[in-house]
Amino acid sequence: MSLEGPVRMGRPECAVDRAEALRYLGYAGQDVDAALEERIDGMFERCARTCEPAYVFRIFPARLGEKGVVLDGSGIVLVGADIARHLHGARFVAVMAATAGMTSERELRRLSATNGLDAMVYGAAASSIAEAASDACNAAIVAEARAAGLCTNWRYSPGYGDLPLDVQPAIVRALEATKRLGLAVTPTNLLVPAKSVTALVGLFDEKQDDKRSCAGCSFSPYCNLRKAGTPCYR
Amino acid sequence: MLPITEGGLRPRNALDVRAKDDHLRRVLEGRDHLLFDGAMGTMLQRAGLEAGELPELLCITHPEQIEAVHRAYVAAGSEVVTTNTFGANALKLDGAATVDAVFEAAIRCAKRSGARYVAADIGPSGALLEPMGTYAFDDAYELFAEQARAAAAHGADLFIIETMTDLLEMKAALLACKEQTDLPIFATMTFEENGRTFLGTSPEVAALALSALGANVVGINCSLGPAQLAPLVRTMLAYAPCPVMLQANAGLPSMVDGRTVYSISPASYVGAVEPLIEAGVTVVGGCCGTDPDYIALERAALERHPVPERTVERHTALTSAQNAVVLHGSEVGVIGERINPTGKPKLKAALRAGNWQYAVGEALAQAEAGADLLDVNAGLPEIDEAAALVALVREIQGVCGLPLQIDSSDPVAVEAAVRSYAGKPLINSVNGKRDNLAAILPIVKHYGCAVVGLTLDEGGIPPTAEERVAIAEKIVNAAASHGIPREDVLIDCLVMSASTNQREVGEILKAVRLVKERLGCRTVLGVSNVSFGLPARPIVNATFLAAAFSAGLDLPILNPLAARYREVVDTWRVLCGQDEGSARYIEAYANYQTAPASAASSSKPNTAAAGAAASDDAASALAKLVIAGNKGDVPAVVEAMLDDTDALSVIDDHLIPALDEVGRRFEAGTFFLPQLMAASEAAKAGFDVIRERTPAAEAVRGPIAVATVKGDIHDIGKNIVKMLLENYGYAVIDLGRDVEPQAVLDCVRAHDVKIVGLSALMTSTVTGMKETIDLLHAHTPQVKIMVGGAVLNAEYAQMVGADFYAKDAAESAKFAAQVLG
Repeated sequence: MSLEGPVRMGRPECAVDRAEALRYLGYAGQDVDAALEERIDGMFERCARTCEPAYVFRIFPARLGEKGVVLDGSGIVLVGADIARHLHGARFVAVMAATAGMTSERELRRLSATNGLDAMVYGAAASSIAEAASDACNAAIVAEARAAGLCTNWRYSPGYGDLPLDVQPAIVRALEATKRLGLAVTPTNLLVPAKSVTALVGLFDEKQDDKRSCAGCSFSPYCNLRKAGTPCYR
Repeated sequence: MLPITEGGLRPRNALDVRAKDDHLRRVLEGRDHLLFDGAMGTMLQRAGLEAGELPELLCITHPEQIEAVHRAYVAAGSEVVTTNTFGANALKLDGAATVDAVFEAAIRCAKRSGARYVAADIGPSGALLEPMGTYAFDDAYELFAEQARAAAAHGADLFIIETMTDLLEMKAALLACKEQTDLPIFATMTFEENGRTFLGTSPEVAALALSALGANVVGINCSLGPAQLAPLVRTMLAYAPCPVMLQANAGLPSMVDGRTVYSISPASYVGAVEPLIEAGVTVVGGCCGTDPDYIALERAALERHPVPERTVERHTALTSAQNAVVLHGSEVGVIGERINPTGKPKLKAALRAGNWQYAVGEALAQAEAGADLLDVNAGLPEIDEAAALVALVREIQGVCGLPLQIDSSDPVAVEAAVRSYAGKPLINSVNGKRDNLAAILPIVKHYGCAVVGLTLDEGGIPPTAEERVAIAEKIVNAAASHGIPREDVLIDCLVMSASTNQREVGEILKAVRLVKERLGCRTVLGVSNVSFGLPARPIVNATFLAAAFSAGLDLPILNPLAARYREVVDTWRVLCGQDEGSARYIEAYANYQTAPASAASSSKPNTAAAGAAASDDAASALAKLVIAGNKGDVPAVVEAMLDDTDALSVIDDHLIPALDEVGRRFEAGTFFLPQLMAASEAAKAGFDVIRERTPAAEAVRGPIAVATVKGDIHDIGKNIVKMLLENYGYAVIDLGRDVEPQAVLDCVRAHDVKIVGLSALMTSTVTGMKETIDLLHAHTPQVKIMVGGAVLNAEYAQMVGADFYAKDAAESAKFAAQVLG
């Protein structure tokens, strides 16, 4: 089995997904005048120009331990009923981190200091870049899994369900993501740059029911997004 | 405690260090080669050691294996072995072992290998420093200081600070080593394919700033192979007056037959290093993936080449963490003067309130207008100048990439600000007084700054050029005696007003010329002083500026937002040859109009808008502009309306109804977020005009504090609520995002806050929200709490104990109206 081993890195070309970024901004077909549209597109363009998307991932053997799912050799233990369900039967887990880059963080700070609207629009575009970088990473994981005859399920991030954010430092350490992506974790377990994602993808012998739903989410009783039929995931 | 002004530390020259022997001294002087070792992690993996989370602990648990790795490198020819202490700081060890114990064990392993020199390895702290992160500079310094003391106590011969990506963190480590010990310091940073570190530092900036700070050797390690790093290394060779080192990676790892192998072979690795040795790199070794085979080949390569002569041109250079301003030949630069409270009531008020954002806005506006450096002054008698200057520098550096000029007459404030400055700053200023030279020059030297020397001394400002040049010479000589090179001393010949000291204007220009001719120093002038007491000051200033450029002025201090100044600077850059082919000039002035509208006249109402305002249609006109988010035209219309309508009516009858309408549309889904924000912006432009014209028009209600709760950074909703509430006339205190519950409580107490608005988007922030509410209820039961966020509803709000659930920003305004009226 050659899945384990060193960290894999990628610097994917990512475009701003216009529809997705607009959706983050609450766009649902409203009439937008030309001036505002030009301003939004200008920010999207600036975002595409300034972001430096990149990702890393590493694959670890998974087993169920006393406290949760243990990823051997990584120092990561995943605590929570929901993630245990998600990774039930997984032979390996791919641990990944993707980011729109530190330049996005600096640009956002700069815009926040001068103009709230520009910052918001840039932020939505940078989120879409971080998602695109995550997609590229996910695709690389799927490709490796396939080559090894394994199936994957959807990527699950800390903060979903009952998987606490305090697993972030261990993930960043296991991936050496500080050295490789410039990713840092704050004392409250948030990522810097903010437009970054960490996630876990299970690798299984059998094909998985590869659909995400609100079922495992602790907020599903209260969530307005769910009620509106526009969940926080795609 | 500040080491120079408060601790009495005497700065030293970079070469005043304890070098173990003559060879090491010759290395530090750039006259001998030095060979480091290769990777530690790669070798441990090969030995089958599970590195775990803290590979540094292996020094204690498996000393024989660590020593064996060192021995292998010594056998291959390494003169220096690097201790296995990359992450051995208190933050990363987190109680698993003491820093002292790890360094003791690690240095023992290294010494037992028989290596000629032991380099104490210091890697990044693992925390991101403010302002991008949350870790304070002083805390980082303490982490590194503990490592430095341990390394020196247990007998290390030198420091290798490596794999740094944050120039400020590197500075903390460098200062720690320099202040806590007398050992040589080798400092290398890690660069990405785009030629910069993750935090944006270029090799040019690293070479300039780190050598100025007193690093004995500067260089590059990790991330890429030697061939990819070659151009960056060559840049460092061009700018670093000290020796340059390289420890590259052996390419990227991959798995072959269950074994990690690296893509660059020893032969091709050294094949790429050798031309750099010929070009003047004198210290080499290897980083990730390299092993004794690479080192043995490097040994041979070093033996093939004598150390070449390398001359580095000395230029006046200032840097931020990202950018360098290097003055070549007749090039000129502009220092923006606007962050100085003298005569600026708004900036004064902001500094008194501890609101740094106003100054940050000024910084960005000046950068946009083409400033090359920014003066930063926080000199107000009623505030803690040192603390304010430190905060301003930190916040400005967080968003603006221009190098800064630290402007204060208080040595303590100057030292505090330059200590935590990322880069090589310009200190404004020192003068020819004996006491002042003795107070400021040690700071300049210790922190690797440049300094502006004012041509005044105990006798005041002398009237003639010759006398001013004499003082300048005194300053340059005093600087030299502190080890500060001439290119780091810039002379300000002090501009006097033409209306009071008319004869001196000519002497000032003459003094500038003489300073350049006789002393070879760059010059600075505060230009606008010349026009005090005269009408049409911009014309006088511009004429003087042109004359001063001609006399040899390099860095005028002026308001870059003033068009006439910009015109003189832009044209001078054509005339002196800095703007090659006049390309930038042509681009900027191709459509130049001889009588451009000034900033003041463009904000006056145009006739159409004024006409509209006079009629009843004005109401709908203003409302339409706000609803359409047309910020540009709003001020003119409001100005016109205020001529015959009182401010309250404009607010209550026009702006507020327009905002209400926008709120309704947003609620109905016919507007989306950017439209809501654009309308808020437009309304704000109107409110700003009203506030300017009739400061008392608004009864400020509140205050209301808003925050994104601890553990969450999503602040779009919070920002919209803030903007809207402000537009509705409430005083809003924005606590930002990821806010500790205690910080919210402190704010409520300090400002007698009436309503707290808490926002969260992440499902994991349940605890943060509830914790904050519980704390407020326990200590300040009178404060009303509203919550909002896409994943919350009224039921959830009730569950966590909030008084009100705001579905959107418009609802938060309704709630505020209920509570505060």
